[in-house]
Amino acid sequence: MRKSSNPYAGNHCSDQDHRLHRRKFLQGMGSGLGASMFSWSGLLTPSIFAEIAKKQQKRCILLWLCGAPSQFETWDPKPGRITSGPFGSIPTKIPGVHFSELMPQCATIADKLSIVRSMKTEPTEHFQAIDRLNRGDAPRPPFTRPTLGSVLGQQLGQLDSPIPNFILLDPCPEGNEFKSFKAGNWAGWLGAEYGPVRLGGDYKIPDVHKLSDITTEDHEEREALRRFLTRKFENDRQSAAAASQNAAFQRVKGLMSCADLFDLERLPVKDRERYGQGTFGQHTLLARHLVENGAPFVMVANGMPWDCHVFQHEIYQMLVPDLDNIIYQLVTDLEDRGMLENTLVVMMGEFGRTPWLNASRGRDHYPNAWSLALAGCGIQKGAVVGATDADGIEVTENPFDEKNLFATLFTALGIDPYAEYDLPGFPTFHRVEKEAEPIREVLI
Amino acid sequence: MNTKIELTKEIKLPSAALGLSTISGSEDLLVSCFDGTVLKLDLQKETWNPLAKHNSYASGVVTCLNGKLAASAGYDGVLQWHDLHDSKTVSVEKIHDFWSWQLKASPNQKLIASVTGQYLCGGYKYEPAAEKEPSIKVFDTKTRKLLHTFSHIPPVLSVGFSPDSHHLAAANMMGDIKIWNLDTGHLVRAWNTPDFTSWGIIKSHHYIGGIFDLSFSKDGNRLLVCGMGPMRDPMAGNGKQTWQEFDWILDTPEKTREIIDDERGRGLMETLSLHPSGDLFCMAGRMAQGNWNTALFSTESGKRLQGIDNKTRITRSAFSADGSKLYLAGAKSQGAPKEGKWSEFGRILVYELTSG
Repeated sequence: MRKSSNPYAGNHCSDQDHRLHRRKFLQGMGSGLGASMFSWSGLLTPSIFAEIAKKQQKRCILLWLCGAPSQFETWDPKPGRITSGPFGSIPTKIPGVHFSELMPQCATIADKLSIVRSMKTEPTEHFQAIDRLNRGDAPRPPFTRPTLGSVLGQQLGQLDSPIPNFILLDPCPEGNEFKSFKAGNWAGWLGAEYGPVRLGGDYKIPDVHKLSDITTEDHEEREALRRFLTRKFENDRQSAAAASQNAAFQRVKGLMSCADLFDLERLPVKDRERYGQGTFGQHTLLARHLVENGAPFVMVANGMPWDCHVFQHEIYQMLVPDLDNIIYQLVTDLEDRGMLENTLVVMMGEFGRTPWLNASRGRDHYPNAWSLALAGCGIQKGAVVGATDADGIEVTENPFDEKNLFATLFTALGIDPYAEYDLPGFPTFHRVEKEAEPIREVLI
Repeated sequence: MNTKIELTKEIKLPSAALGLSTISGSEDLLVSCFDGTVLKLDLQKETWNPLAKHNSYASGVVTCLNGKLAASAGYDGVLQWHDLHDSKTVSVEKIHDFWSWQLKASPNQKLIASVTGQYLCGGYKYEPAAEKEPSIKVFDTKTRKLLHTFSHIPPVLSVGFSPDSHHLAAANMMGDIKIWNLDTGHLVRAWNTPDFTSWGIIKSHHYIGGIFDLSFSKDGNRLLVCGMGPMRDPMAGNGKQTWQEFDWILDTPEKTREIIDDERGRGLMETLSLHPSGDLFCMAGRMAQGNWNTALFSTESGKRLQGIDNKTRITRSAFSADGSKLYLAGAKSQGAPKEGKWSEFGRILVYELTSG
């Protein structure tokens, strides 16, 4: 990957900031500890230096609000207007800024968040919009751009990490359009090794514990024999499939070593209660636990419950308070643990909802003017950017699209947003095309 | 019996109509709307005057004391009392922390009841959390004082009085039905019907649906409840249009009847009203699939007498005291504004009943 010549690209993070970047740190430690032997999981005793490094490692949690939440019932309420719906608004920690009354806890930490109220994107249907907002650009067949998680997994993680570099937590096996997206190619031209490890539902990784009737030595010897034979096969046959198989085994071996990290029952009951008992809350707690232990990117989804064409208000009375609590717990936890400055939290769906109600009293898809929230690494505290008109129909200030958003996320994490991919035989691709500007107002 | 209904009037309102009440000895109606207004509607002139305003959706309005007094409730959790003679609001009281889902008056007009409850995540499968405030409140219309508070599992969507005004039934999103004796304040029956609630197997893991309205039979021995059958996708709104009838006098209430499967389409049924004769009832709501959203049913046979599609989402229904008219309140799609102007998407529909 070639660095961009754009002077703005990634310029807010100095070399000093990166000195303890996990990837470089581990590279540096390679001769002493052996990066592939090192684990953040606590299975090996981490040094004090490693503890510091762990805190300063850049990472990202994406709360993926699939189905597309309504901006009116979250970040951009329109009290007293015909489009407001039944819920009122409440003041926040930021003078003059109101959130939906369904978000009382987020109102108390508004000064730790950045809100973008002027997202304006194009796709009106879920699959296309999920794809666009996960990849940061429109499709250009036959080339497949990697998703945010794959890019961040590559940039912030390491290939031989025992903890997966890209974890997707989602309990819902179905999900219509999200299911279709999940079946697709997440890593694109980066290669399958940058795809997500997907978990969800019962929180634990099944079938990764060493058999009880063999010793650790036996287990290691079996693995060494398997590795020798498959490597030989791979070399003799020049087989990409065998190489992929080997990579999968390595990943499973890594998962075996950190399976306990995925076991929420090992976390304090108090923490589990704080996050709420539903799957989204539990998975968000798990995400916090995973990034705390070295995972560079965790995406938390919960099916696609926000797609409320019917029963908009009847469902939002439950969904939004749940989300409100989850965001509050996550942001305050990260801050209390000294991790917020190095953990980027992104809270968004694929578009917004219509200002008007349909015949079923639901809100339909609306990419013309919608909101999202950011917090943590590289992000201003208490910024509210962009605006919509009185009824929330049009963006009136600073429209931003997915390219602006991705430039913002990469910049916030100290990653060059305009770097060119090294893809022999491909057209020229950049992380963010056309040098789209980041949303400067939310960046530190 | 061969009763039919025929549309005689369709009145457009600026905002969706949620609640509806006839007024004793008057041709006027009271209508409560999305924009929080409570309107006094002159059906002859097809004009209206605002009677009151809530700070959120005005979900219900009832009349009592022989048309002298009205009460309205809203998603602001507020109960307002209105003097209909002077067209003045005489009392405003916050009665629920969450919104009032439904407001009903007793047949003797001495009592009113409001039900509330927020659906909050209470478990792994998003089971509703326990109530944080009493889900049911009953008031005396003469003194306007609180008479009873009752507990239920929130959200409680529907409520209704027995014909003798001695019993009160209330039902929730999970299909739990409870009946109290209002003379003693004791819970006398509690049971569940699982046929009105969905858990999202696909798309979203949570519950949706419930019993949206209920009515006692004329003899008071049966309870009719309505809503929508389970859906695989809770966002689709395409469960089967459903009513069920229960014999609640039995120690263990039993389902005695339900809508005939061949006679129903799909969509949420939000209102069920018994005709003054007791011979028929109206169930109405939204049509997702099929050919009717409003239908009359025989209480004797349970068969559908007539089904019509008025292309409106109906939220409340009421028969006139003499049984000659059926009033429906609802809304069309709000739609995007055209040239900066929002559509008048609220509707009041007036039907005349005829015997063929």
